[in-house]
Amino acid sequence: MSRYDEKIGFFQFMKEFFGAATDFNRKSKSMLDKEAMDQMDNFMLICFADNLGIPIPTSYYTLELLPYLAEDLEKWQRRMMSRKSIWQEKWGDWDLDV
Amino acid sequence: MNKIVFFGGKGGVGKTSCSAAFAVYSAKQGKKTLIVSTDPAHSTSDIFEMKIGMDVTPIRDNLDGLEIDAEYESDKYISGVKRSLGKVISPIIMEEINRQLDAASISPGTHESAVFDKMIEIIVEKTDDYDQIVFDTAPTGHTIRLFSLPELLGVWMDSLLAKRGRALEVSQMTKSVDRGSKAYLDHDPILKILNRRKTNMEKAREIMIDDKQLDFIFVLNAEKLPIEETKKAIDILKKYNMPVRKLVINRILPEKMSDDFWKIKKEDEIKYVAEIEDFFSDKSIAKLPLLPKDMRAHNIDDMAEYFKDAFTNE
Repeated sequence: MSRYDEKIGFFQFMKEFFGAATDFNRKSKSMLDKEAMDQMDNFMLICFADNLGIPIPTSYYTLELLPYLAEDLEKWQRRMMSRKSIWQEKWGDWDLDV
Repeated sequence: MNKIVFFGGKGGVGKTSCSAAFAVYSAKQGKKTLIVSTDPAHSTSDIFEMKIGMDVTPIRDNLDGLEIDAEYESDKYISGVKRSLGKVISPIIMEEINRQLDAASISPGTHESAVFDKMIEIIVEKTDDYDQIVFDTAPTGHTIRLFSLPELLGVWMDSLLAKRGRALEVSQMTKSVDRGSKAYLDHDPILKILNRRKTNMEKAREIMIDDKQLDFIFVLNAEKLPIEETKKAIDILKKYNMPVRKLVINRILPEKMSDDFWKIKKEDEIKYVAEIEDFFSDKSIAKLPLLPKDMRAHNIDDMAEYFKDAFTNE
């Protein structure tokens, strides 16, 4: 029994259809989330690049950020270490798989 | 003479002797003096023939000493991080992160940063307790790197702060509650830590390039290599806006030489001293003699006398 049967009026249907089709808010929210995640990744990288074998001058000073970032760091490192997942993530940005 | 004095120069030219003698001289002048050794191979203890530790140790009247121990400082810092980690994260992740911290404690740059931090701490905290702080530094290369750190790290810190701020802003945009509020940024502990670091760096940097507060004195011998190295080092320091205005020529031979070998040596020396005075004509130059005996606790005072007339044209 679909939601869109005779009980729902035509106008109601149109309203819902266009409402959902033009829900820019939802779209932009996910874009922003994506952007926020990228920004966090970048921040992680310039803090802890030495974990990936890239020496950085401030590695000593970012150690004291660990108490706040350790949980994220774990996940980040695992993602960064696996090339496949990085490619998937970045391709995913382009909506090519839809 | 400024309050903070750094003695630098090529390895083996007698930096420790000069800085010790100068510290003794300044203590005898009635100034409360602190001598700090930043060289990993500490010889300040040997010169004063006593154990000088990581904490301020009284040496004589008006004179205290301290040797910065990089290993101890970095261990202290890292175990501090471990302690605060233990409070917030799960034991499983702790395992992983501890491995990282242990790796960090032996990675290059860690010791350098630890020494640098301690140096800043001394400069910032002890300036009120002493009239004169004398630093006996490691050979040229180390020291110059140490002095270039604030510049290098400052840029890095700026980008860290900018990135963190940006990341927080963006993640704020999607939150329906207190969207983009400044309070949220103010409470971020990470920004707090980074900002504190940055302020410290800037403080240190200000003191370092302020020729009213800090003097950098180069020690050299009247020989080819130390002269060349000093030229290079002074150029590099200039790039970081640190003026060097004083030189010490150490180990000057006595005037009267009877032996042929020493006569030739003396002639060379006169030539080199002339070269130094010519090339560094804009700097004030002090000369210290070569002592017949090793410099130890009992004859530091003799050497200290030579600083009486040195740098008088200030």
